[in-house]
Amino acid sequence: MLRYIAHRLLLMIPTLLAVSALVFLIIQLPPGDYLETLIAEMQSRGEAVDENQIAALREAYGLDKSPVEQYFAWLFGMLQGDFGWSFEHNRPVSELIGQRILLTFVVTFSTIMFIWIVSFVIGTYVATRQYSVSDHIATLIGYLGLATPNFLLALVLMYLANQWFDTSIGGIMDDEYRNQPWSIDKMLSVLEHLWIPVIVIGTSGTAGMIRRLRANLLDELQKQYVVTGRAKGLPPRKLLWKYPLRMAINPFIADIGSILPEVISGSAVVAVVLNLDITGRMLLDALRAQDMFLAGSFLMFLALLVVIGTLLSDLALAALDPRIRLGGGATR
Amino acid sequence: MHARALLAAIGSLALLASTMAPAAAFQQAPALAAEVEAGKLPPVDERLPSPPRVVELENVGQYGGDLRIAMSRARDTRMMTVYGYARLVGYDSDYNLVPDILESFETVDDKVFTLKIREGHKWSDGHPFTTEDFRYWWEDVANNPKLAPLGPPILLKVDGEAAKVEIIDDRTIRYSWSKPNPFFLPAMAGPRPPFIYRPAHYLKQFHEKYAEPDELEERIKKRRMRGWAPLHNSQDNLYDQDNPNLPTLQPWQNTVRPPAQQFVFVRNPYFHRVDQEGNQLPYIDRVLMNISDGKLIPAKAAAGEIDLQARNLFMTHFTFLKQGEKGEAFQTRLWETAQGSKIALFPNMHVADPVWRDLFRNRDFRHALSLSIDREEINEVIYFGLAKPANNTVLPRSPLYKDNYSQAWAEYDPDRANELLDGLGLDKRDGDGVRLLPDGRRMEIVVETAGEETEQTDVLELVHDTWLDVGIKIFTRPSQREVFRNRIFSGETQMGVWSGVNNGIVTANMSPAEFAPTQQVQYQWPKWGQYYETDGQAGDTIDMPAARELFDLFKKWQVANSEQERRDIWHRILEINAEETFTIGVVCCTKQPVVVADTLRNVPEEGVYAWDPGAHFGVYLPDTFYFADAASR
Amino acid sequence: MSDIDRPKDPRDTRAPDKVAHFVSDAPFDPDVEVVLTEEQERYYMASQWKLMWWKLRRHKIAVGAGVFLLLMYLIAAFAEVVAPYELQHRDVRHIYAPPQSVHMFHEGSLVGPFVYGYTSKRDPETLEKIYTPDTTKVHRIRFFCAGGYRGAEYEFWGLFTGDFHLFCPEGTREPVFLLGTDRLGRDMFSRIVYGARISLTIGLIGIILSFALGIGIGGLAGFYGGWVDNVVQRVIEVLKSFPRLPLWMALSAALPAKWSPILIYFGITLILALLDWPSLARAVRSKLLSLREEDFAVAASLMGASTKRIIGKHLVPSFASHLIASASLAIPEMILGETALSFLGLGLRPPVTSWGVLLNEAQNIQVVVLYPWLMAPMIPVILVILAFNFLGDGLRDAADPYK
Repeated sequence: MLRYIAHRLLLMIPTLLAVSALVFLIIQLPPGDYLETLIAEMQSRGEAVDENQIAALREAYGLDKSPVEQYFAWLFGMLQGDFGWSFEHNRPVSELIGQRILLTFVVTFSTIMFIWIVSFVIGTYVATRQYSVSDHIATLIGYLGLATPNFLLALVLMYLANQWFDTSIGGIMDDEYRNQPWSIDKMLSVLEHLWIPVIVIGTSGTAGMIRRLRANLLDELQKQYVVTGRAKGLPPRKLLWKYPLRMAINPFIADIGSILPEVISGSAVVAVVLNLDITGRMLLDALRAQDMFLAGSFLMFLALLVVIGTLLSDLALAALDPRIRLGGGATR
Repeated sequence: MHARALLAAIGSLALLASTMAPAAAFQQAPALAAEVEAGKLPPVDERLPSPPRVVELENVGQYGGDLRIAMSRARDTRMMTVYGYARLVGYDSDYNLVPDILESFETVDDKVFTLKIREGHKWSDGHPFTTEDFRYWWEDVANNPKLAPLGPPILLKVDGEAAKVEIIDDRTIRYSWSKPNPFFLPAMAGPRPPFIYRPAHYLKQFHEKYAEPDELEERIKKRRMRGWAPLHNSQDNLYDQDNPNLPTLQPWQNTVRPPAQQFVFVRNPYFHRVDQEGNQLPYIDRVLMNISDGKLIPAKAAAGEIDLQARNLFMTHFTFLKQGEKGEAFQTRLWETAQGSKIALFPNMHVADPVWRDLFRNRDFRHALSLSIDREEINEVIYFGLAKPANNTVLPRSPLYKDNYSQAWAEYDPDRANELLDGLGLDKRDGDGVRLLPDGRRMEIVVETAGEETEQTDVLELVHDTWLDVGIKIFTRPSQREVFRNRIFSGETQMGVWSGVNNGIVTANMSPAEFAPTQQVQYQWPKWGQYYETDGQAGDTIDMPAARELFDLFKKWQVANSEQERRDIWHRILEINAEETFTIGVVCCTKQPVVVADTLRNVPEEGVYAWDPGAHFGVYLPDTFYFADAASR
Repeated sequence: MSDIDRPKDPRDTRAPDKVAHFVSDAPFDPDVEVVLTEEQERYYMASQWKLMWWKLRRHKIAVGAGVFLLLMYLIAAFAEVVAPYELQHRDVRHIYAPPQSVHMFHEGSLVGPFVYGYTSKRDPETLEKIYTPDTTKVHRIRFFCAGGYRGAEYEFWGLFTGDFHLFCPEGTREPVFLLGTDRLGRDMFSRIVYGARISLTIGLIGIILSFALGIGIGGLAGFYGGWVDNVVQRVIEVLKSFPRLPLWMALSAALPAKWSPILIYFGITLILALLDWPSLARAVRSKLLSLREEDFAVAASLMGASTKRIIGKHLVPSFASHLIASASLAIPEMILGETALSFLGLGLRPPVTSWGVLLNEAQNIQVVVLYPWLMAPMIPVILVILAFNFLGDGLRDAADPYK
């Protein structure tokens, strides 16, 4: 097992390097740079452009250097904990990212829990009643979640919450708690707002999870040992819980790696509609404004989150299934 | 005596007269009184300069309350500097220049400007505001090659000649040039003024020249800066208000370091304005600025979560806001706007295609384009009939306005347009009824937009139909703002869509630069504007007589000596613009919805929402706004 | 799956009702072949695809979904005929007009399908234009009709002009707006019909690209294993480490703005496909990995079959079902991807009309409150995505015909 862990950890290094190069390439792709965006914006409003400030910024942040130089400067900076400078917010990126992480975790974690619970219940239910009416209905609901565009669902739910429960429009908490320390009231206010993004982001992931759980469970249920068990008179409930469910539950662990980016990118759109102060929204703003170091660092951070998530799920899978760890990392 | 100097003198006289009126003792907000009790603040009389600026109000207000506003980006903390509108000199609500931070100013022929600071004026941290703050900026910031690699801003140079700055005493400073600099004072009154003063006592700790080297080094390290200059720059943003530690002269000071979703601005206890009864302004305790997505702001306003808002609200939201009024305690007012044209088409005189370039430079062709737009229909369909069909020129509110400027060639007359086009030899059409260019190509214009407002695409859809009736086919191509601009600059774009001149409520004393080829961002002639902006290093010389004349008139205006002369120049400029139709304005005078809480007072029922001059709410002095129910809030 | 559905096992020669002990008089001959009934024969000799079809046929919902999708693609192909109005047609007298409902009876007598005309007035306070149905004006709907009103003429696929429609309004001026109109008085129903053409094809083209990449790359990795697999694994891992949306955003932002709408359309499709293939490749690879160890693959290999033959003839058919399941999920994901990008203003933009572009115009609360019918494009989006999913489910089950 140790060998396997070491192997997987080593593999992360080239992955992360490749990710960083790709991230840098992507944030460089759009034409122009932040300062040009800034100038355009100011001029269009008739604001005077402070040429001195622009020139100083361009020099200080090496925007006049070649992309390769910029990349390595950024990479080495990151290794030393310096993530670069956010032009939009006029402060070091590291100061900005930290503030967002807690709420991002809260939203992401709640959403994944939501996906797990809902799809576990529905998935198990429908797999044991293949082609029954309830199978179709449950599946339909799951698919409806998948089929509805996130942003519209979020919009409608936000409006209804405002009309019915008088929840304030947008935000992850009422405005008055925004700068206050954590308290019971603040937590309640967060909970009052949190259910919308969790449902909206969650629904799109649930259908896929239900489908996989159902398929796995069906495969498993048709296997010889289940048939044998049934023939030997095991009660159906026990027959289901004892082995097949355990085997079929693998996707919950294995899919962390694919659910995480889905949830995070779902949260980006939903965060814009609902005005949540989580990573998604700031990342989107940074991408729009071409605030390259901020956008790049966010992408790196999110990618790191996914890579670590995948690693953890691989390790968990390996712990569950000896075939994987004995086969080594290469063939899995 | 110079007209504006006279005006200023009258301004300060009026001020002097009014300062005599209130009783000697001043009053302050209860919250501040408590702090004075506790010994944390000096008494109000010591905090106010002498004399303070007295604002005559219709209603004397009450202290207290939080004003909730919303912005779409964290960087919009700067809007509080715009709204606060504490300026050396500022416009009053009739757009006269009056001293604000300054006690008085004097000008001689627009060449010598003597500014006098109020006695005992203090920064928001209680430190005296003196000419040292001006000197620090001029000598240690504007002329420091590390902080300002390009030297002092263009405003302080006339034809390359930098200002001569003389410090006369603690309260008096003089800026002078050998040639007139008519832009100097209006710029000070702008929404984003050049801050020619900085809180020297605070900033010196970041300046190489003044700070202890060890301490400075430590500060640089602590903030992960790449030197003292970026550090200084990052702390020194009087406009952006993003550094809560930076002292300010504005009515409210930001207390939250960005990024945040809510910024809290608290009153500046040393603010220099009082009402006619001697109550120190501002009335409102705090301004809470919430950062929301732009699309959500109308929804928040309609849900009664905002007390004062105009930014991010558009006419399309009006019905929605009106419906929201029913259940919530706010009103939606309609203010005038100042843009010369809400939407205008800009035929690019520098388009790379020579055939099109010749056509766009042909006056008759431009007239034909203008005549074949049904502005009434556009007004009805897109602006609820509330706008006004007009050219891109000055607005009726401007003293320079004449009907002819706004209506010449602006009627819908497709027959006349057809005649004009036929007269240009463009009388051949293909099977679809589209005219053919002299070289046989179809007459197709790609109109580009910055892809930001659907309104522009909508207008183009309507223009498309009426232009097709006269045989001109257009295609709309949305892009992004920078691409949009760059394509116009490089001549790839045939025609662009944007709003018209920013300031349509000009007076004879305001610069006519927007009506002459002086800026690259004038999309009808970017290269001529660039030529002027870069002192001839880039762009093209003006090779079109009418545009040349506009430019010469602009230069003449700069050195004109009397208001009468300026007015005459202005009228000639506007006449040429009306005759030539360089830009094709569609509608003007659209309204700006302004959401105001029911209990918020001193906000005008009918106002003008304009960037420059006006600073949005700035000219109406938001520090004088108050809540009628302040006590219960 | 119940036993009744299962075809009779030919080896099961017991007569179902015989319970008593029975000994055949016939001489015992172990070599005699089991005689197949005609039906059994057909079943055993049928090709795999035929079996799939037989099985799919019994999956009613899947068939229904398939028929629905076929219909949608037909509508997309004949949008000009199905839509009563040409795409660009505007009726400025009817801005933000609400949907009309279709009636059959007027004042108790059968008139056939008709709509009531609108009367409208502007609310002086809110400036809202309020429409009410005018029950005195009866406008019949004509079917299979040839124009005669404004907005009837179209260019079919840009090839020839026509004015034949599935249904049209009766008069020359009185409109039929089944789903209301938008801010320029354009018929929402017609716009949705035209939008289908863009939205439905974006998924198809995208999936073809994605399949080519996914099967090719995943197949290589799965079959060869070793370093090829390792490299592919890392590439997939890197690509999958990103939240899709930001990648899509950044890539669409990089599409040259001077591209024509049609190029942008293909660009967006390509971007959607570029991020879709890794999951497919991963599925192909892991299936191949497990299948190549199966007896039949080993047997084929021992018999000297070439790699190409093993993959193409033995392995691919055995996981075709999974490919189809993936496709059934990927096409709707791409359709949703297009709407999400358009929502962010990074996808297609007007004057191109797709469902995403239409929804982009419905993305604020004021639409939800005042003009809810502008959200109508959501319905075909949901239906099409559901249909793809159901069809995919059915196909997946059917693709393992021997189960």
